[in-house]
Amino acid sequence: MKWMDKAWMILSDPKELPKIFAISILFVFFVGILLNYPYYPDQLYPKSFELSGLYPYDRGGTPLKEPAKIVAQYPQNSEMIGWITSYLTPFSSWLASKTLYLGTTIVSHPGGIVDEILYYTRGLDTVLESSIMMMAFLIVGFLIKLKRGG
Amino acid sequence: MLEGIGGEILGVIRFGDIVPYITPFTLSMFILALTLTVLLALAKPENQILMVFGKDKYSLIKPTIEEMKFRRFMVIVCGLALSGAMITGDLFNFTLFVTLVGITNIGIIAAVRRPYVLEAAFQYGLICTLASLPLFGAAAIVLGTAGTLSLHELETLSVLPMAKILLAFGVAGETGIAPFYAAKAEVFRAPGAPYILMVHLSAIMVVIRTAEILLLL
Repeated sequence: MKWMDKAWMILSDPKELPKIFAISILFVFFVGILLNYPYYPDQLYPKSFELSGLYPYDRGGTPLKEPAKIVAQYPQNSEMIGWITSYLTPFSSWLASKTLYLGTTIVSHPGGIVDEILYYTRGLDTVLESSIMMMAFLIVGFLIKLKRGG
Repeated sequence: MLEGIGGEILGVIRFGDIVPYITPFTLSMFILALTLTVLLALAKPENQILMVFGKDKYSLIKPTIEEMKFRRFMVIVCGLALSGAMITGDLFNFTLFVTLVGITNIGIIAAVRRPYVLEAAFQYGLICTLASLPLFGAAAIVLGTAGTLSLHELETLSVLPMAKILLAFGVAGETGIAPFYAAKAEVFRAPGAPYILMVHLSAIMVVIRTAEILLLL
């Protein structure tokens, strides 16, 4: 069992580990790419493919009159669904009528689309995503502080 | 099937589409994770003594208070993320919690001033980064092929074996379990015992929860 001894020796070296992990992921992906993936037609978070200023987040609806169409897994948990997404500030609706690319910014301009999937039905995910980033910044910040001797 | 693995569902917490559920299994894991977090947050850190072999000498390693405060904070965040991962009822939410556990694990050991520990932590960080690809890829494949991420719905649907393999791969890399354990084993040599325990315990508990999820998918 000489090859096994060798394999365990390689696996016991932390410096070799990322390489081995990357190669094994590549192998799994290579097998995975050959498989057939059926696309489920009744998607939970559909996107519109109509040409509009809010593409691909155009979910319809008129502010304060009619809610936007949003598919939720448990609609009974989010009763006000659709009302927030349909709202755009006057500036944003003017911008949406002028350009085709407003939807790609999501919330990076004042009064942009407050996407309900991000902030309402799946709000906990968004909180976690930003927490992960904050933790990364925190670790880097602390390490730099240590290095400078503060 | 959910009842079969975790026991009877005692209740759910309604967070919109993300519905954490309480079974005897998830509840006991949740309470365990929270209790450990409280105990580790209150515990005093150890001072490591290194004996010099063959001589009548020893050296005392005393980490600074500032370093210990940062590590304690990371332990608390890691514990909260761990308890979230134990109770969540959504696949994507679970992968996010696991990633948060992974990054805080690195945070716990990032401030250690030992070259061999830092080297191992860096390699472990690389594996964590690589592992996020299969981890989130699994959630994406499940959403694309089954149309939902809720574990309640997924237990009645058929999930591709490939998604399960990717999820297992991602968790294996993120928590540093066999056969990719060498980097994490080096990390345990860092001084400051009670905080290092969290690195170990979080890996074990995440793996147990992943086993439950893989069985019910």
